[in-house]
Amino acid sequence: MTEPLLVLDNITKNYGAVQALQGVSFSIAKGEVIALLGDNGAGKSTLVKIISGGLEASSGSMMFEGKEFRPKSPSQAKAAGIETVYQDLSLCTNVDVVANFFMGRELTKSIMGIKVLDEKRMEEQVAKAMANAGTRIPSLRSKVEHLSGGQRQAIELNRFVHWGGKLVLLDEPFAALGVEQTKRGLEMIRQVAAQGIGVVIITHIMQQAFQVADRMVVIRQGVVAGDVPRKQTNADAVIGMITGETLAGTGPGMGAGQ
Amino acid sequence: MPPRQRKVLEFVLDNLVWFMLLVVLAIFSATIPNYFQPGIFANVIEQSSVLGVMSIGLALVIIAGHMDLSVESVAALSAMATGILFASSGIGMGITLTPGWLVVPVSLVIGLAVGGLIGALNGYLVIKIKMNAFIVTLSSYIWVRGLVVAASGGRSAQNLAPDLRFLGIQRFLGIPLTAYIAIACFIGFSFMMAKTRFGRHLIMIGGNEAAAFRAGIKVDKVLMIAFVLSGAIAALAGWILAIRTSGATANLGTGLLFNAFAAVVIGGVSLKGGVGALPGVYAGVLLLSSINTAINLMGLPAHYTQVIHGLLVLAAVLLDTLKQTIRKRLA
Repeated sequence: MTEPLLVLDNITKNYGAVQALQGVSFSIAKGEVIALLGDNGAGKSTLVKIISGGLEASSGSMMFEGKEFRPKSPSQAKAAGIETVYQDLSLCTNVDVVANFFMGRELTKSIMGIKVLDEKRMEEQVAKAMANAGTRIPSLRSKVEHLSGGQRQAIELNRFVHWGGKLVLLDEPFAALGVEQTKRGLEMIRQVAAQGIGVVIITHIMQQAFQVADRMVVIRQGVVAGDVPRKQTNADAVIGMITGETLAGTGPGMGAGQ
Repeated sequence: MPPRQRKVLEFVLDNLVWFMLLVVLAIFSATIPNYFQPGIFANVIEQSSVLGVMSIGLALVIIAGHMDLSVESVAALSAMATGILFASSGIGMGITLTPGWLVVPVSLVIGLAVGGLIGALNGYLVIKIKMNAFIVTLSSYIWVRGLVVAASGGRSAQNLAPDLRFLGIQRFLGIPLTAYIAIACFIGFSFMMAKTRFGRHLIMIGGNEAAAFRAGIKVDKVLMIAFVLSGAIAALAGWILAIRTSGATANLGTGLLFNAFAAVVIGGVSLKGGVGALPGVYAGVLLLSSINTAINLMGLPAHYTQVIHGLLVLAAVLLDTLKQTIRKRLA
C-alpha cells in the first residue's frame, strides 16, 4: 500500500468569486479504500468531478501513476483508468440494461467491413456480471426507465466492478439501496480494492465509511481537515473533524498522512 | 402474463404505426372504389419519397434531443441550386457535362455540400455557442428560404437535364428510381441507428446527455454529425424534389416542414428526444401519403388534407401516451 496511485497537490477550484476548493492535497495508494467525508457543500463532489474529468481544477496538480494528470473530459479520465459512479444516476433510461452497461464502449463485430454492435456478446457479459454480483433484474432487455431505483443503482455498481480500471470514484453510491444490497455493495468495494484498484467513496453514513474504508479524508470548507487511518480514529473524532469542533487531522497543505 | 403473449404485445407496441398503416390501407381498399390496385400503392410510395427522405434527417436530430426547423428551406436551396445550374429554361443556366450522366453525381454532391454546410453552421451555433436549437434553426429556416428567393429573383428554373430527369421517369416495378433512393435511405439509416455505435450514442444522448458525456461519449462530435447529416439529408430530399418537378421554383416545398414533423411524431419519435426508430417514421410518411391519395380519389377538396393531418398528429401523440401506460404495466 505504499505505491501512490493518485496524488493530489494543492487542488483549488473557483466558481467566480466562490472558492469551492482552497487547496486540497492527499494521495491514494493502489488497493486502498478512502472514505471522503465532509458536510454538504464542503467540496467533495467538486473534487470527484475534477479527478474524473468533469471539471477542470483552477490550480494545483495531480499525479496519476507517477505521471502528470490533467483530464479535460470524462473520456480522457476513463482512458487513463478512472471509473466514476455519480450521486445522481448516470444512466440513460431510454435504452435497455445492456446498452447502459456498455455505454460509450459498445462491443462491435465487423460485418462486411462495417462495425456492427455485437448485442449477443454484450448481453452474455452483462448476464455474467449481474449473476456474479447476485443482482436480479427480470430482463436485461427491458428499458431502464421501467426499473426500480435500487435496480438502477445496482446496474451502476456492477458496471464499475465490471470495468474496474485503476481507480474508482463513488459519489454516494448507496443512496437508493436497501440494507441487503448495501451490504453487497460494500463487499463489492472490498473485492475491487483487493484487486489492487484504488477506491474513493463519498458517503454521509459514518457506519459505511468505517465498514469499508482504510483511511478517512475529511474535507471542510474546501480544505483537508483530517486525513487519518481508520484504525486510529473513531466515529466521534471524525464527526468532530467534519463539523470543525476538533482539528485532529493533518490539516491543509500537509499532503497524505501515512 | 405468459412470456409468449408478452412478446407478442411488445412486438405490436413497437410496430404500432405499421399496424395502423395496414388497418388504414385495408379500410381504404374496402370502402373507396379503385383504391385497391398496384398503381395506387406505387403512387403512395412515389408520393412519399421527398417527405420520407426529409423526415429521416429531422428524426435523427429530434432523437438526439434537438431540433432542426431548417430542413424545408435547405431542401429548397438544394433544389434551387440544382435547378439554376442544370435546368435549361427560366433562370436555369443549362450547364451540360460530358458525358451527360455526370450531371447526376455533380448535382448531388453540390446539393449535399450546401446542405451539409448549413447543417454544420446550425450544429456549431447550437453545440459550441450553446444557442437554443429551436431558435438557431428557425433563423436558418427563414434566411435559407430568403436565399432561395434572392438567388432565383422569385422566378423559376425548368427543364432539368434529361439525365437527371431519367431518375424520376424511369420506373422499376412501377415505382420511379427516386422512390428507391428514399427506400434505400430508410434502410441504410435504420441500420445505422439500430446497429452501430453512432446510432446507439445518438439515442443515449437524446435520453440523458449528461450520462452519455460522463460515460466518455464524445457528445459534441456525435451531435455535430447529426446536424450535418440532417442538413445533407434535407438537401438530398430537395434534389429529389427538383428531379420530380423538373426544376425549381422560389416557393418549392413550402409546408413540407410540418408534414415532416407530423410524419416523425406519428412514426413514434418523441419530441423530448431519445425515443423512436426510423422504420416507424417511414410508416408515418406512408400513412400520410396514403391518406392524401384517398382524399384525392374520393374527390374531396384538398383542403381537408391539412385538417386530417392535424388530427392524425394528435391521435399519434395520444396513442403514444397510451403505449407508455401499457409498457409500464408490462415491466
